[in-house]
Order: sequence, then C-alpha cells, then structure tokens
Amino acid sequence: MSRASLAEFAGRFAESRVGLASLAVTLFFLFCALFAPLLSPTDPYDLSRLELIDALKPMGSPQVLPGEEFRANFAVTDGVATPDGDVGDLATASCGERCIAVRLASAETELASLQVRSLPKGMSVEGASKHPVQPWWTVNDPEGNGVRIVSDEPLPAAFSFSVIAKTAEQPTDFVFVAGTDAFGRDMLSAILYGIRISIFVGVLAAGSAMVIGTGLGLLAAWRGGVTDAVIMRTVDFMLSFPAILVGLSILAILGSGVDKVIMAVVLVQWCYYARTSRSLALSELNKEYVEAARCLRLPAWRIMLRHVLPNCMPQIIVLFTLNIAAAISLESSLSFLGVGLPLTQPSLGMLIANGYEFIFSQKYWISFGPGLVLLVMIVAMNLLGDRLRDLNNPRFDR
Amino acid sequence: MSEAFFEVSGLNTWFFTRTGTFKSVRDVSFSLRRGEVLGIVGESGSGKSVTGMSIMGQVDEPGRIVSGSIKLDGEELTTLSFDAMRHYRGRRIAMVFQNPLMTLNPLMRIRDQMFEAISEHEPASHAEMQSRCIDALRSVGIPSPEDRLSAYPHELSGGMRQRVVIAIALLLNPDLIIADEPTTALDVTIQAQIIHQMRRQIDERGLGMIWITHDLATLSELADRILVMYAGAMMETGTTADIIGSSRHPYTRKLLESVPSLNVPGEKLRQIRGSMPSLLTLGAGCPFKDRCEFATEACAEAVPERVFSATHRVWCHHPIEDDR
Amino acid sequence: MTQPVFEARDVSRIFEPAQGALQRLGDRLAGRQPPLVRAVDRVTLSVSEGETLGIVGESGCGKSTLARMIAGILPVSGGERRYRGEGYDSFLARKRDALKVQMVFQDPMSSLNPRLKVGEIIGEAAALHGVVPRAQIRRYVVETLNRVGLPADAIDRYPHEFSGGQRQRVGIARALAVKPDLLVCDEAVAALDVSVQAQIINLLMDIKQDSGLSMIFISHDLGLIRHLCDRVAVMYLGRVVELAGTEELFSNPTHPYTQMLLAGMPQISLKRRTFMPIKGEIPSPLAPPPGCHFHPRCLAATDHCSTRRPELVELAPGHTHACLNAGLTRN
Repeated sequence: MSRASLAEFAGRFAESRVGLASLAVTLFFLFCALFAPLLSPTDPYDLSRLELIDALKPMGSPQVLPGEEFRANFAVTDGVATPDGDVGDLATASCGERCIAVRLASAETELASLQVRSLPKGMSVEGASKHPVQPWWTVNDPEGNGVRIVSDEPLPAAFSFSVIAKTAEQPTDFVFVAGTDAFGRDMLSAILYGIRISIFVGVLAAGSAMVIGTGLGLLAAWRGGVTDAVIMRTVDFMLSFPAILVGLSILAILGSGVDKVIMAVVLVQWCYYARTSRSLALSELNKEYVEAARCLRLPAWRIMLRHVLPNCMPQIIVLFTLNIAAAISLESSLSFLGVGLPLTQPSLGMLIANGYEFIFSQKYWISFGPGLVLLVMIVAMNLLGDRLRDLNNPRFDR
Repeated sequence: MSEAFFEVSGLNTWFFTRTGTFKSVRDVSFSLRRGEVLGIVGESGSGKSVTGMSIMGQVDEPGRIVSGSIKLDGEELTTLSFDAMRHYRGRRIAMVFQNPLMTLNPLMRIRDQMFEAISEHEPASHAEMQSRCIDALRSVGIPSPEDRLSAYPHELSGGMRQRVVIAIALLLNPDLIIADEPTTALDVTIQAQIIHQMRRQIDERGLGMIWITHDLATLSELADRILVMYAGAMMETGTTADIIGSSRHPYTRKLLESVPSLNVPGEKLRQIRGSMPSLLTLGAGCPFKDRCEFATEACAEAVPERVFSATHRVWCHHPIEDDR
Repeated sequence: MTQPVFEARDVSRIFEPAQGALQRLGDRLAGRQPPLVRAVDRVTLSVSEGETLGIVGESGCGKSTLARMIAGILPVSGGERRYRGEGYDSFLARKRDALKVQMVFQDPMSSLNPRLKVGEIIGEAAALHGVVPRAQIRRYVVETLNRVGLPADAIDRYPHEFSGGQRQRVGIARALAVKPDLLVCDEAVAALDVSVQAQIINLLMDIKQDSGLSMIFISHDLGLIRHLCDRVAVMYLGRVVELAGTEELFSNPTHPYTQMLLAGMPQISLKRRTFMPIKGEIPSPLAPPPGCHFHPRCLAATDHCSTRRPELVELAPGHTHACLNAGLTRN
C-alpha cells in the first residue's frame, strides 16, 4: 500500500470513535504484554517471594511485614531481674516493691502482644488474660510497649520467668492494587503476566493458523478439482465441531502445555482462513491481471504469492484480528477448564479459574480482575476487527 | 412546436468530499418540449449523469444541488419534499438506467413489479392492470407479452430486461423520461431495435425524453437537440443538425473527428491530446483550454455564451466559424 | 505464401455449465450426457506477418474465449493452434518463446495488479524470463514507458494514480516489454472515453508500424474494426460466419448476420435511418439453435438451415462465409 492510500485509510479509520478507542485499548494491552516484566511490581513466578500473610488480601490493601518474636528469660533475685542469656530489646525495670515492669526498649516498634510465662504462684500480670491451664499471661497491644508483673505477696527471693514478645505486623508502602490470590501473589503482576501469555498464545496460534490455512486455501483455489474438494470438505468437517470440543479433545490426548494449546487453536482456526482465502483467491483469479500474469508465463507459485495473495491480505488481516481474540478466549476457556496452560505459567483463564473457588467467600477480586481484563481485551479486539472489516468492505465506501 | 414544459436553469450540483469539493455540474440550463428528445453527450466525468440524478432528486450524500431550478410544467422540483418528489418519480418523471437490474427486483415476477408500479400511484382493478402491462410491453416490442409477465428478470436476456424497464417507465404515462446510457450495455442489433421503438413511443405519446450517453452516433439517429457537456459545464447546444453538421465548439468538433468511422481507415485517428482536468482544481475559465488547439490567454477567463442561431449556442472564446 | 504467425484449425472450447450436485447426479443415474456448451465451435483462422485480424461479434459470441485460447491462457477442447507452424503444446512449454504471443485486456481497472508499482508490472516478466539483463531492467522499463507515451516517473507509481487511458497504456507496455510477435487485443478500448479511445488506437497503430508485429483486434465496434484491421472475422454464437478483407466485408457483406450487424451499426449522420426489421434476440449461448445458429433471426432462412450446419465456403479469394443460401443473400 502506498503512503497516500495508507494515510487515506487512516483518515477513514479515524472517523469512528469506537474504532479509535478499540485500537487504543488493543495497543495498550499489546504494550502491557510486551513490557510486562518492566511494568509489573513483582515477579509472580518467583515463589520464594510469596508470603502467606499476604494471601487473599482485598484490592488496595498494603503489603505487611510479619511481626517478630522475641523470647527472653529473666532471673529475679531480690527484686532485681537479670537477663538470663540474650534478651534482645526487652528490658525490665522495677516499679515498686511488688512490681516488675517488662517492656520493649525501642519505642518505634510496636508490640502486638506480650506473654509472660511461668511466674511463681501469687504473681500475675496486670490487665492480662491468663491461659486457663498453663501459667501464661498474655497482654494484647500492651500500653507503652510493656506490662507490669505484680504480686500479692512480697516477691520471692529468687525466681525466674520467661517473656515472649511479638511485635506488630508492619504495613509497607507497597499496595496490592488488585488484591492478592490464595498464595499471596500480587494480582496486578499476575494479570500483566497473564496478558502477556494470553496475547503470546493468541498471536502465535492465530498467526500459525493464518499461514497454514491461507496456504491451503490458495492451494485449493489454484488447483481446483480433487485438491479443492479434499481441502474444503475437511474444512466443512472441522467446522462442524464446536471449537471448545476440538480443543478439549486435543489437549486430552496431548496433555497440557503452551505448544499443545497453540496446536489446538491452530487446528480449530485454520479452516476459517482456508475458506476465506480460497473464496478471495477465486475471485482474484478471475480478474484480468491474473490472466495477464499467466500470459506472461509467470510460474504458478509466483502468481499466487506475488499477485493473488497481496490482494487477499486485507480481508485475511481482518480475520486475523478477530481470530486473535477468538484464540485468546479459547485458550482462556481451556485453561479455565484446567487443561490449558501449566500452573507455572498462569494465563488470564487460569487466574479466573484460581479465583473461582473464593468467589462464594466474597473474595471476588481474584477472578474479577483477570475476568474484566479478558473481557475488555476481547471486546476491543473484536471491535477493531469489525471496524477494519467495515473499511475493507467496498459497500460501505462512499 | 409546443412550448417547453420542462426547464432546468442554472443547475449546480456539487459533491463535498474529504478531498475537496467536486463541482460536478456547473450552471447547466436547458429546456424540453413535448415529443422532443434532448441528448446530453459527454465523456465520463462530464456531469451528464449527475444532471440526470439531480432532476430525479436522487443526488446522494455527500452531494447536493447547490443552486438552480428545475421546473416541470412551471412547478419547482428542487424545493419539493421527499414524499412529494416520490409522487413525481415514476408517475411524471421516469428513469431508465444503463443496468436494468438496478430497476428490476430479481426476486419478483415481471407482473408483480409492473402491478406494484401502477398501484403505487393509481390503483386499478386486476384486469385493467393486466391489460395496461401487456400494452406497455407490446409497445416496446416484446413478443408474446402475456408469457413474459410471469417471468423473473433472470429468465430474460439483457435486451429484454431493458425493454421491460422501459415498459415500466412508460406504464404511468410520464411526461418525461430520463434515460442514462440505456443501450450502452446492449449489442448493436438490439440497440438499434430499442432506439427505433423509443423514438416511436416518444412521437406517439408526445412525451419528453432526456437521453444521456457518451455515444454521438446513437444521438445523431435519435435526438432532436443535443447538449454537449465537458467537465461539468455546457460546451455547446443546438439541434442535432447544428451539432453534427456544423458544430462550432472545438471540443465538439474534436469529439466528432475522433470517431473512427469519420476517419480514413488505416490512417491515424484525429485525437484530442491530454486528458480531462480534475474537477477539484478547475479554475474559472474554459475547462477544455488545456487540450484545445485554439486556446489563448483569454480562455482562462469566464467563458462567454455565443449565439449562432435561435437553437445553436456555444460557450467558447474562440468558436470555429467555418462549416466543416 | 509465407508461413502465418498464428494459425488456428478447428479450434473449439467446450465446457460443462455449472450445475447443482443433485442435477449432475440425476443426469449420471439416468445415463444422460450432461449438456455441453460450445463457447467456441471449430474456428479456423490465421494471422500472417504484420497483419491485423479483426474479430467482431456481439456478447456471448465467444470472441473473448477465442482470444484467451490464442494467447495460450485457456486450453483448447479440440482442434490445434500453431505458432509459426509449431504446435502450441511444445510452443507453450518453452516459457521464454511463449512470450511471443501477448494480450492486452479490456478493463483498465482489473487488468493491472493494484498492489504492484507500474515498474514491477511492466518489468517483472522481462526480468524473470531474462528478456533483459536484471541490471538494465529499470532503464528498459523507462524505455518501454516512453514507447507508450508515459513519463519515466510513472515507474514508481501505483496503477490507481493513473486515468483509464494511462492504465491501458501500462497494459500495452506490459505486453510490449516481453517483445511479442503477436498482440491479441481483447476489447482493448471498449471501456475508454471516445477521446481517449482515439489516443490508444493511434498508439496501437504506431506500435504496429514501428515494430511490425501482428495483431488480433477483438471488438464489438465495427467502426474500430474497419479502421484498424486488414481482415475481419465475424463471429456468431461461437462460430465464424464470415471472413474477408475489411474493404470487401464492409462493402460486400454476404452473410445475413454480417448484413444485419452492419445495418445496426450506429453512424454519425443526419439522415434518419430506416430500420431493418430484425427478428428476435440473440439466443442464449447455453442453448444455441440447431443447424445454422442464426436461422431463427435470418430473413433468408430456409428449411434445411435448421438442420444442417453450414461450413465455411470460399466465395472469392480471401472471402469465405458459412451460409447455406449463398446465392439468395448475395445481392
């Protein structure tokens, strides 16, 4: 296409706002797919980075660092507590005759709970709840990061106790915009990588189907007769099965994997290209420029590839755009049903499937994000394909 | 001869497209009497078909009639509403296109299409409609019209289909028929028959006809008066004898000379150099000036109308004075 | 007499009309022969060196099919074609030599590939078949463009940037670029405006004069044929009905169909013509009448016209026609 006609085409395309919007959305998703590793805040494939504490966080919640735990033993002689071994930040102080205070030395870290164990009889911890059986006293969110151990009677000359202090969970600056899944994986990153895989599978599968299908269609158009009949009856046969059924059967036989999913999609989609390219090629073959090429004794393959094919391409490109969307949704369906891509490479369909079990426990966001993305992406691609088809159709031309 | 019943004056029909404004018809005026055939002749892009469409009120977006008036029996057509125009179309003005399948519905029998045309405008009894259809078909030279009535368009040959279209056009006794290249797609022998029958119908019924074509030869056999158009403008108008026998405009002259049968066989044809200018870049002057051998600087200015006789008018700075 | 450049002997083209599968099955079960259409029915003609042969006829007479058989685009169903005495089977097998017969097409829109630049359209075959060394192909294309009256800068433009007449020039340049001996023009100017038509006709005449190639000019336009051709073959429903020198044919047509054709030919004149009554329409080529195809429309038809096929007979040297009532129609 020359530059002038390309500009003309772009001008006509820009007439429709829906077309422009769908193009923008499609390009946006392509961008996401290409640069997913740079865009995504975490690497969802890095299992070592996952924290169970982050699991099933709703949208917008921050990532937290889990609290630390300090254990310390203290020996008390004559009212003076001395650390028995390493006690970390914990410190004791006297707070009266029958009172020992235990607290965290640093003021910054907050304590979530503090537990005092194995106190002698008659002693207790202020404001604590006691374990029903064990001599354990627990204070949640202690005031001033410390507790006071008090005694009804004068303190024994020597005793010991142990303290378990738990610091509070620390919220970080990092926010899970789209929530997390059951493994604590950041959904935003998972979606970005899911787009990448879905588009990769879609483009590669639809592209392979285009090459194979168009080739067979051109062959059928050129040879006619038995070749044509065999190819086109196979197309009819393939088209009589629902796509999902073909996909399921293929994957049931071959097992799952990116290559197998692509193979399944190609097997479903080649017939659309074959049928379209055959009919386009047949109408092109009737035109006088093909007769001229034959009169110039050009070889058959050259006539088909250099003269006929380029004139069929606009419509085939439209079909390609529509079929990428179809390939993505087929792959997603297969992954949703659990036969598509492996767990280690979660596509959008698999992300939806993963969240499915949590929907009824009101943890909707795990399926919601990928589902919305998939929906918008496929609608945009379909609208784009429709728009391209309209532009290609001379009946809508003025 | 009777008074003119149909008049077009100062017609301008322009198309407003993204690439610019195509002034397809510029200041075209003519009139027509009953029983008269006006031939509009021109090459592709001359605006002859757009003139026909303008009269029918069928100029589609992005085109529209910018100015001018079209009067049938004194009534202005350009200001009519769509519904009022529909009443005129078919009943008083009928159109025949080059391709009969533009008019005929491929899924309906000829009878039903003809009945529909009648009942749309003047409902009648079945027997009456039947006899009118048969008369119309017979008048355009269709053999055994009773049998043809129940045929579908695809069962007829191209010549027959065009005759059916003409019969439908005649069905409501219109005042005016506009025929846009009606015989161009037909073979020579069929063309001669149809032209012959058309002429007879016009003479018998006293209707007016505008015959739009690129073919001067058919016009010389059929038309009473001829209007020559080029790049949307009128070049020359006159009786057939004026145009064919003593044309004054260099373009008409050249057009006639380039017809093979007026040249010596085996010698080179007298050709017109160059090609038609784009309607987008047209200036004020004569659109033919770049291809004309008589062109001078004056031709870039507005073209004067030169009157040679009561019927013969030429729009040219340098009309050819001598007879051929 | 020297050998003709091209010769066709009893050339036919027969095809089965497209039918529904059920119909075909029914025919086969009933043992019926499927109906055959003879688009071209035993045509014999020849073109000698430097000659222009006209083939004239109305739609459906098979002239375009014949053109494509002469150009070697369509195979024949029967008969033989010869190029300078050599049978077409071996002639077409040698690709380089097969370029000697080229064709100019009717439709200036569809006869050029819209996706190729003019330079590629013209130069492709010449480069591929080694007519010109690849290094010189660009210069050669420019030369060819000049020959057909197009500017050198056309080489890098696309067909849609040209007008109908210019596109037709490109089509002619494409044929000329492989240095043919015989140019088959199938309604090459029918789609053009009158003024452009004259330009293209003049171009074809120039080319013929310069290079002395032979030409087969196919048209429905008798005026053009008369202007351009040395000899004319008149075809009707797949058959040649009359073949004669142009002068002879136009001044002394003997076949009733030729007479009718000439009478119907529109002419620029101020005389109102009296129309010769013409019977009927052209029958469908799918079911032509038996015997002489023209007999239902012929004023001179007699009983045996509907049963016997007239063969071409020579009336005078170089003037043959296929009519059973030769004596009756000769005035």
